[in-house]
Amino acid sequence: MTALPFHLLRHRFLLLVLLWLASLVTVSLLSPYFLQASTIPYFLQYVPVLGLLAIGQTFVMIGGGPGIDISVGSMLSLTGVFMAWLCGTLGVPVVAAALAALAFGGLLGLGNGILINHFRIASLMATLATFFVYGGLALALTDGRPVTGFPDSFAWLTQAGWFGLPHQFLYVFVPVAFLAHVFLSRTRAGNHLYACGTNAEAARLVGVPVARVRLLAYVASGVLAGLAAVVNNSWFMSARPDAGTGLELLSVTIVVLGGTHIFGGEGSIRGTLVALFVVTTLQIGLELAGVSQAWQLAVVGLLLILAVALGQSLQRR
Amino acid sequence: MSTENKRPTLRAGAGMSRELILLGAILVTGLFFTLLSPYYLTQANLEQVLRNSVDLAILSAGMTLIIIMACIDVSVGGILAVAAILIGRSYQAGIGDAGVIVVGLSAGAFLGAVNGTVVAKARVPPIIATLGMMYIFLAVLFLVIGGRWIAGLPDGLSFLIRGSVLGIPAGVFLIAGVYGFSYLLLRGLRFGQHIYAIGSDEKAARLVGIPVDRVKILTYTYLGLLAGLAAVLYVARLRNVEVNIGTAIALEAIAAVILGGARINGGVGSLLGTLLGVIFIKSMQNGLVLIGVSSLWDTVVVGGLLITVLIFDAVRGRSRAREGME
Repeated sequence: MTALPFHLLRHRFLLLVLLWLASLVTVSLLSPYFLQASTIPYFLQYVPVLGLLAIGQTFVMIGGGPGIDISVGSMLSLTGVFMAWLCGTLGVPVVAAALAALAFGGLLGLGNGILINHFRIASLMATLATFFVYGGLALALTDGRPVTGFPDSFAWLTQAGWFGLPHQFLYVFVPVAFLAHVFLSRTRAGNHLYACGTNAEAARLVGVPVARVRLLAYVASGVLAGLAAVVNNSWFMSARPDAGTGLELLSVTIVVLGGTHIFGGEGSIRGTLVALFVVTTLQIGLELAGVSQAWQLAVVGLLLILAVALGQSLQRR
Repeated sequence: MSTENKRPTLRAGAGMSRELILLGAILVTGLFFTLLSPYYLTQANLEQVLRNSVDLAILSAGMTLIIIMACIDVSVGGILAVAAILIGRSYQAGIGDAGVIVVGLSAGAFLGAVNGTVVAKARVPPIIATLGMMYIFLAVLFLVIGGRWIAGLPDGLSFLIRGSVLGIPAGVFLIAGVYGFSYLLLRGLRFGQHIYAIGSDEKAARLVGIPVDRVKILTYTYLGLLAGLAAVLYVARLRNVEVNIGTAIALEAIAAVILGGARINGGVGSLLGTLLGVIFIKSMQNGLVLIGVSSLWDTVVVGGLLITVLIFDAVRGRSRAREGME
């Protein structure tokens, strides 16, 4: 009996792929519209925003502490509004505004990182507070109304593609995911991040600057949220102050489902990617089947609880 | 092998200063708003603040117990919403005042028990469990309400909010009752010792034979029950149920508890502090509206307060640890 869970854990990736195939089949049965060639670009258009947030969340969780970033959705909302303000109100060129949005996202992430690693406030508490502050600022500064004013050329990023592959997938998401994968699996800094999550004390003894490594993980999460905001703005050609609602739940679910341990030290980009495909498939499928957004999020919430409960029970044996 | 050795960590003396600080903060901000708005310090306004605080105050008492136990619940807004919607539907189905109270309380307690079971039995960390449940509750809400308001409910319960006995508003009695009972739970009964023990060191609590799972489930059930009561009062106050009910109340409750001196890592917390935290938050929100700040800023202000207190606690905790080392 003890060999089985270990076996399962080692093949978690394979299980995830099977889960994805199962969700593809289920969704195809639910909706006749899903199994069409046109679904692929649609699907790939959905992936980047959530995927960028999930990659950031993966970094934060692997770094341990335990680490969690509940504010990702709010950071997306606020940076999105910030970028629209730069573009629309101040007339800043769109590329410069996008770069500023990345920097601004990094700043918001730095805020989280400082609260958690300098003041040693529990990550769930700190990011729960910034979840409300950042999200509240996005709403209050805009009076709750979407901000527009992007030049038409900005639509290039999301409204066009190359052989059916949307630009934001090809030029933003694929490179970021690749770099993140290389970073985690092939670099010293990546190793340090795992070390912080596995055993912070041991990592500190061998000279890893634990607090700084973790702080940078939160900054990365903020920058990626900024990048996701740029993509999202181009997609809607406006910045909605509530654009990030529910994305914290989705990103945490994806990362945990993808095999990243909630207390750190374990996890991979490829696991996160397959989990991202599972969740996106479910979302699109449920949407095509006419299931309301409230129920889509409920399904994701259930998935999250089940994924964590399963992981916990495997570990306990 | 009793839990007596956990008692010294309560540091009753150290908690007192926090409550005095809060009281001072309430008075200072009160003075500030009085100077800026002539309407702030009127009986009508203060009664208004009290009426608006009752549901948050009641909920926060339960949240205090949860946080002392080193847990958290971000889904209380969802529980409140589902309970309120069931109350509304029960009214529409012709159930009387006493009946809807039973419906609200039992719905709240049941959903709280679900949370507690997921946390205790499936060992899902509380933040993850209640985050997931929040969205499930919202879906249930959506299913029952169908995106529309329920309005024009009977006013049979409004005495709970607007009534008064001997000139004292009914809300005061409700708050006193809930806080009195919670205090009894926490300090008068073995149950409370168990909560403190779990919050201080769960592994040790398990080792000395405390039924950790059962205490967790019961505490979450108690919070759910109070959320149900808050829902009853919500319906009594507004006589309608809207779609976005309860969205910010989890933040406000957590902020009130932390403001009141509880530590997020568990083992420490004060009901009196929480109550003062609620008063501070609500009077601040009221004052800001009176001086013309849009209520859209509410979450920013409450979240900002929460961060300020977290930093304050962190810095103070660190200097205290340093003193301890020497």
